[in-house]
Amino acid sequence: MIWKTFLFLLLCFVSIAGISFPIVENPVHWYQYPMIKGLEENAKIIFFHVPTAWLTVVAFFMSTVYSIQYLRKKNLDDDAKSYTAAQLGIIFCILATVTGAIWAKFAWGSYWSWDPRQTSIFALLLIYGAWFALRSSIESEEKRASLSSVYSIIAFLTVPFFIFIMPRIMLGLHPGAESIEDGKVVQSASPVVDFKMNGNMLLIFFLSLIAFTILYFWMWRVGYKSLIYRDKILKQSSRG
Amino acid sequence: MEGFYKFLSNNSIFIVTFIVLIVWAGVFFYLNSIDKRIRQIEKENKGERNEK
Amino acid sequence: MHSKAFALFLKDFRSELRTRYAVNSLAMFILVAISVILFSIGQEKIPQSLTGGLFWVVIFFSAMSGLARAFVSEEERGTTLTLQLIASPSTIFTGKLLFNLILVFLMNIVIAVLYSALFDEFVIRSFYLFVLTFVLSNFGLAISSTIIAAIISKAGSKGTLYPVLSFPILLPLILTSVQLTSNCMVGTSFAESKVDLAVIVCYDVIMLTASYMLFDFIWKD
Repeated sequence: MIWKTFLFLLLCFVSIAGISFPIVENPVHWYQYPMIKGLEENAKIIFFHVPTAWLTVVAFFMSTVYSIQYLRKKNLDDDAKSYTAAQLGIIFCILATVTGAIWAKFAWGSYWSWDPRQTSIFALLLIYGAWFALRSSIESEEKRASLSSVYSIIAFLTVPFFIFIMPRIMLGLHPGAESIEDGKVVQSASPVVDFKMNGNMLLIFFLSLIAFTILYFWMWRVGYKSLIYRDKILKQSSRG
Repeated sequence: MEGFYKFLSNNSIFIVTFIVLIVWAGVFFYLNSIDKRIRQIEKENKGERNEK
Repeated sequence: MHSKAFALFLKDFRSELRTRYAVNSLAMFILVAISVILFSIGQEKIPQSLTGGLFWVVIFFSAMSGLARAFVSEEERGTTLTLQLIASPSTIFTGKLLFNLILVFLMNIVIAVLYSALFDEFVIRSFYLFVLTFVLSNFGLAISSTIIAAIISKAGSKGTLYPVLSFPILLPLILTSVQLTSNCMVGTSFAESKVDLAVIVCYDVIMLTASYMLFDFIWKD
């Protein structure tokens, strides 16, 4: 169980470093972050907000992969895996949306402004919501598994469209985002044009990404195993 | 003690850090306990299968 | 296979002519939706770009009310098993898709005519571009709503779930169509909006292939 200790210490370090390291004009020591004009302290959200958004996408992708797997092999364990991935996905999706909205209040002045990525995560939230609504309406296990697999594959197919369409329709506000107007790529309309991380900021960012990903896989494994064993025990007790 | 309070009120970010650490520790130990219980059930299941 | 699909379509068409359930409810829904918008606008002058968006709102909600019936009717009458015996899944899907296509085109032409008659601001400058957008999005709408209707027919709560499931799937299509409609009202040329048209074509093709591939799994269980 070395990796658990490692994960624990890593996330402890990331949260201490991500929240409390100072931001200074000219970073000298390794623990200092550079000042980003227009963001200042707000820039620290990147250590926590971006990993949650990333995990939302990973969870959605995994849920679809196991849906395909279920349709091919008709093994209910795959459905449990897909279901757990989606459950975690909706948790991280809500986290990403809420943290993003609170941050946006301070950085852009309003909680919600229909920026391309905000709209995309909203669409993801809708898909997850619809998926769970569909699952809760079906009682038979096999039917529920196959119907929700089909729906999650169809929903997954719409995601590339969002990625492609959104920047064409609305202006990007996220730091580093670009918008396409009249076929030309223009810089984002956000107050933060120049978003550059220095070495240690990047390092902590990637450490945070790694730590959150490990955490996600751990949670996912615990989740699907408990689902599978619950079903097994229920079946055993009903048999006698 | 007085100085400590002053330090905290000037650097309230440390309180935030502290709360985040507590939340993370809570999540971690909760997950760990579930993981342990699942491992136990896994073992019992295997044992039963061997008996049959 | 084609003749079978066509026969299935004819059967739906005839039973529709007999009861006129879908057509009646669709017509009433279109009237209600448009009049609600008209009432809420009142004497106000609304900006031109807004009318394009509202046009697609009316289409979306009318589609939600009328198109869910495609497979539910078979489940209610208990004819699903018979259908499974006489035809392959793709044939059944083709038949249902044909019927929904006719329904969508009928509905949207009525909406377009009524809408342009009732809203003075709804002026289409580049007509052919609008017709192309209209046809392509109708195909997309029909395809997506047919596959969702198939999912719904097997699920428990049939009526309420339909808009919930369809909205995320239709969202890219509706967003692009709204964009293209506002382009049409400004009067842009074909060349400028060909990327958006390509997006809709891609959507139609992807949804069509995915529906044919996945329909087997919905139908056979």
